This record gives sequence, C-alpha cells and structure tokens, in this order.
Amino acid sequence: MRRLFPNAWHVAKREYLVRVRSRTFMLLTIFLALIGFALAIAPVALRALGAERPVDVAVVVEAEDLGSDPIALLSAALNGAASAPGGSRFELSTPDDPAAAESQVREGDVDGLLTIARDDDGALAFTYLTDASPTGQTALAVRQAASALTIDDRLGRAGIDPADRGQIFLPPNFEAVSTDPNEQAQEDGVDYATRASLATVMVVLIFMAILTYGNWVAGSVAEEKSNRVMELLITAASPLQLLVGKVLGTGAAAMTQYAALLAAGGIGLLLQGEIGRTFFGDPAGAQATSGVTLPMLLVFGICFIGGFLVYAALYAAAGSLVSRAEEVQQVSGPIIVVAMIGYFAAIFFGTTSPESGWVVGLSFVPLFAPYLIPLRMAYDAISPVEVVLALAALAAGAALALWLASKIYAAGVLLYGQRPSLRNLWRASRVAR
Amino acid sequence: MSLVVESITKRFGRVTALDGASFSVEPGRIFGLLGANGAGKTTAMRIVLDILRPDAGSVTWQGRSNLDLPRRTWGYLPEERGLYTRMTVMDVLRFFAALYGVPEATATALVGEWLERFRVPDYRDRRVEELSKGNQQKIQFIAAILHDPDVLIMDEPFTGLDPVNVGLLKEAFLAMRDRGKTLIFSTHQMETVEELCESIAIVDRGRVVVSGTLRDVRRAMGRQVVRLAVDGQSADGDGTGWVTEIPGVRLTRRGQDFHEYAVDTQTDPARILQAALARGERVTHFEIADPSLEEVFIEHVGRRAVDEEQHHLADASAGATS
Repeated sequence: MRRLFPNAWHVAKREYLVRVRSRTFMLLTIFLALIGFALAIAPVALRALGAERPVDVAVVVEAEDLGSDPIALLSAALNGAASAPGGSRFELSTPDDPAAAESQVREGDVDGLLTIARDDDGALAFTYLTDASPTGQTALAVRQAASALTIDDRLGRAGIDPADRGQIFLPPNFEAVSTDPNEQAQEDGVDYATRASLATVMVVLIFMAILTYGNWVAGSVAEEKSNRVMELLITAASPLQLLVGKVLGTGAAAMTQYAALLAAGGIGLLLQGEIGRTFFGDPAGAQATSGVTLPMLLVFGICFIGGFLVYAALYAAAGSLVSRAEEVQQVSGPIIVVAMIGYFAAIFFGTTSPESGWVVGLSFVPLFAPYLIPLRMAYDAISPVEVVLALAALAAGAALALWLASKIYAAGVLLYGQRPSLRNLWRASRVAR
Repeated sequence: MSLVVESITKRFGRVTALDGASFSVEPGRIFGLLGANGAGKTTAMRIVLDILRPDAGSVTWQGRSNLDLPRRTWGYLPEERGLYTRMTVMDVLRFFAALYGVPEATATALVGEWLERFRVPDYRDRRVEELSKGNQQKIQFIAAILHDPDVLIMDEPFTGLDPVNVGLLKEAFLAMRDRGKTLIFSTHQMETVEELCESIAIVDRGRVVVSGTLRDVRRAMGRQVVRLAVDGQSADGDGTGWVTEIPGVRLTRRGQDFHEYAVDTQTDPARILQAALARGERVTHFEIADPSLEEVFIEHVGRRAVDEEQHHLADASAGATS
C-alpha cells in the first residue's frame, strides 16, 4: 500500500491550477457570481420593477350615517397585522365621480371599485368591481375587510359606543404551544415558508454541484485516457493516489466557484437593506437569511463535500471506462439517475414529510444523505445525535466509494477500445494490479 | 544482479498475450525486445512495470520482486505517446518529476540540461500542443528519465522520429548506459538493435523464441554467411553453380555487388575461397559474417517483422469490419 500523499496532492494541485486557469472556468464563475448577486437582490429589484406596487381600490360610500370612518377601518383591516406576510399593500381612495372610477377599473388603471350601500333592511351591502379574479386573494381580503366594517356597523346600530367598538377589533392574545418542548424553543418566528425555501436552496445547490463537478471529474479522467497520458500517470502513481488527487483538485475548483457564487449572493443580501433604503426609503428585510444558523452552515458544508466525494469518485470510475471523451455522458447515465432520485425524493417528499420513516432511513444512505441531512435540519426534523451518525455514515460511504472507484479505475484505464460493459469491467478488474 | 523475467503468462479472456515468457537483462546493458505487433512486447513491459499483474510467473530486479520495488526504479516511455497538451513543457515535466519525488529545483535544472542536449532549449515555456510530434516525443523521453531510474523501459522509442532525432536519442541511450543505467526497448528496426543492443529477446505469439547476447543468438543459427564476388561471373551462366556444389552451402541472396551464401557450421567457409582459387576465379570480395538479425528473426518467427505487422493490421481491420 503506497502512501496517499504527497502524490495525491501533486495530482490535485495540477488539476486545480489547470482548471481554474482555463477560460471556461473563469467565464462560468463570473456568470454564476452574477446570478448569485442577482438572486440576492431580486426582492428589491422586483419592487423597483413595480411587481409589488400597492393595490388601488376606489371606495364609493353611498350608505349614510356610518358610525365610524369607513376608509380608516377598511385600511386598518386590509393593511393591518391580520394580512399575510409578503401580501400586497392596499391604497384606498374616495373618487368624486363614481362613473369615472368605474371606467378606470375597466381600463385597468385602478384595481378595484368598492361600493358601500344600504339595502332596504338597513344592512350594509357591498359591491366589488375588479379586473382581477373575483375569487382571488385580493377579493378575499376586501371581503374580510367588508365584514369587519359590517360588524362595526351592526354594533353601532345595536348602540355600542365607538370607543368600545375599537377595542373589539384589537388582535387576540394568542399563543400556540407545541407538545415537543424543543420544537417550542426553536420555533422563534422562523416560519414554514422560510424553512422550505432554505431547504430547497440547499438541496438544489448540492444537486447542481454533484452533476456539474462530477461531470468535470469524469471528463477529465476520460481526457487523460484518450490523450494517452494515463499510461504515464499509472506508472508514476497508484490508482488511489490518482483518483483521490483528481477528486480533490476538481473539488477545490468547485469550492472556488461556489465560494464566488455564495460570496456574491451574500454581498447581495447585505446590500439589500442598503439598496432598499437608497431607492425606496425603507430597508427590505433580510428575511432569506433568517433560519440559517452556524451549525446548519457547517452541516451543509460537510454534506456538500461528502456528497461531492461520493459522487465524484463514481464519476471518476465512469470516466476511466471510456476511450473517448464523447462517451462520458453514456457511462455516467446511471450515476445521474441515482443523483436525481435523491434530489426528487428530497424536493417532493422530504419537504412535505421530513419526519416520515423512509426519509429518515434514506438520510443514512450515503448516496442520498447529502440532500436529506441539511433538508431535515432546515425543517428541524433531526436530532443532533442523528446528524452526527448520518454524517459518519456519509464519511464512511465516501471512503468506500473512493476505494471502490480506485479498483474500477485501475482496471478501466487499461481498457481501450472495448465497450464499457460489466463483463469487460469484471475481466479488466482481474487483470489489473 | 540482473532483471529476470521468469515464465510469465498473461491471458486476456480467450487471448493468451504471454505464454511462459522468460528472459533476463544484465544491468548496465541495452536490451532489445523484438517481435511483431501483438507478439506480447507491450504486455511484457507492463508486467515488468507492475501496471498489469501476470497470471503466472515473476519479475525480479537485483533479486527483489518488482511488486516490492519503488516506482522510481523504472522509467517508462509508452508506445502511445501522451502528455498534457495544454501545459507548458516545464510544467508537465515538473509534474511528473514531482510524482516521482524529485524536488522542484532539481527537476528544473535537469529539464534545462536535457532540453539543451536535445537542442530545443527554447521550448521550456511553450505549450506542449505547439510542439511537433517528434519534439513531443523527446519531451516524453525526458519525462521518463527525470527521476534517474535504474531501468528505462521504452516501447518503440524511435517510431515517428526523423533521422536527426533518432541520432540524438541514440546518443542519449548511450549516455544513460555509460552512467550504469539499464535500457530495454522494443522495436521493429533490426539495424537499430544491431547498432545499440548487447543482447535481445525475440517474442512471437507470447513466447520468447530466442534470447541472449546478439552474438550468441546469431551463432546459434547454426550457419555463417559468406559474401562473395568474382570477376566475370557470367563465365558459367549466373556463375554460382560451382559454389552451391560445395556440401552445406546454399545461395540466399543475389546482389549486384556480391552474392550471399549460407554455410552450415560443419562446413568451413574458407572452402569456398579455396574452391574459387582452385577454379582460377578472380575474387574481388570475400567476407565471412554471422547471419543478420533480420535473418535470425525470419528463421525464428517465419516472417519479417514488418510483414508481420502488416499482416496483423490486415487482420485487425478485417476483424473490425466483420
């Protein structure tokens, strides 16, 4: 058994330098950094583009003798604490000419026209004219506000004092208590939507890294084989040294690229508040970063590296089986399928039931753990002991994958011009060192 | 102690690449491995280098199994040339030197020396892909020797080189030999072997059909060669009949300058000269020599090395189309 280093280090260093100095790498890195930055400032940018402009509603009050100011009450109901986070703001106006307001709605200049009248029984009657869906979110919010106004009116007619009526509409003192005390302590305002987006971002980042950089590894091995440098390499170093060096060097290049992406994204998030203040007078919340904790970042990092090692080793083995670089796609097909199974399992089932038995089970399988550990952590559906155990399984899996891949690699690199069938591979693995 | 290859056998599926092949190489010598393509030369080299493991047999160098020897014992120039084409000459050579544990400063100095010797000192910082095939081959030779290996194994090192570069490479071989290195190379070119090699092995269909010093291998043919020219050969027909009447003498080649005869070891070649003088022939050329390597090869393999190669290629293309 030859020592892994320093030869694996020499191979890694060469791989890294050649990779990061190439023009395609630089262009792709710049491109990814721009995307990262753009995504990070997207909320602010979207506001600048008017995607979050307030909803204009014209209110025509035909009903007389309303006890309270209807506009103030509606506005409080629509824009108050009860409205959904991230929901649209409403701007209410009282047009002088109802007919003009109606035509403005029909032309799309105003989002809706709310007419408040009294019917024969003296109860309030509302008509809401809108160019959007009459059953949509906006119409629903308007309906809720209308019912608040109706209740206020009924209370007034029943003789309740306006001051007391204001008390009635204060939000309730409501606290949700979980049966799990841990759950309760960590709940602290991190809402479900934030967790879901955080989990999705992590899973997508890992999936992209596996497919992109795994393909680099396979392509690079295949290139060494097709330009016949392999025969010199295999004389100078052991298959395990070559394989580990290749995976580490490519991995380092991958981390460089992701670091650029994350740094650009991070700068974007930090600048979000600044840009919001500068252009809109109020800071846009750094909401996306809430829920990210140091342990989670650490675990994400380990899963990223572990997942890369497992898959890159397999990709390297696949690359060693082909004679020409064009055949890489073909042999790496099965690996891509496995990576996609893990990805879809995480996205479709992990996010909906992160505590189900088989999601828990799969997070101990090294091929799927890189997706599922950070995902379960984002949903707070994993205990620290489980995290450590699952990461240990992942590390063992990475070591096993590297060892197994080096065996295939040792055999594969000497297969020239043969179809990379299992039978040929088996034969080659018996003739190789 | 020498390099001893002891009855190695290697099968790839149903194909037997080597079938109990044995030969040995004395240290500090240049050794030629002769054989047609597909004879098993490359497989034998790969087994010596421990890239492949034999099904049976062993390889030892100075009494130690090749499985226990450090990699830097060997330098290897594979038949299929290949380098990282997008790196500079210096970077590529430093990389391979580093894999063999050569410190960077030493490697840099050695690369300078060797580029000078090969008359391409200004290629240092050029990318490999900018070099001609022949020059890439020289770079690859340097890659094989930077770590100062005891044994240098080269598969068809002269193929694809122009005569000037062949000359440079031969000089390099002799320089390495003079520094006590052992060189093993395979080739089809008999003249090169006759020029450089002290000993040889001829491989045919996975078997070593003959091996030993060049001199012994030639002697073992059991005959000598006589080259004879006389004035007025047209005196009786083609003027050879009287020579072949001598028992144990056959005409092997007619030439403008002289004819060549094979003479059995039981027959003294001098009898031809005596017979000529007795007939009153005017002898203008008389030479006694050992058979050429070409003849040795044909005798043992049944075909010329180059014919065999074409035969083999024809087989291969027929197989590919069927």
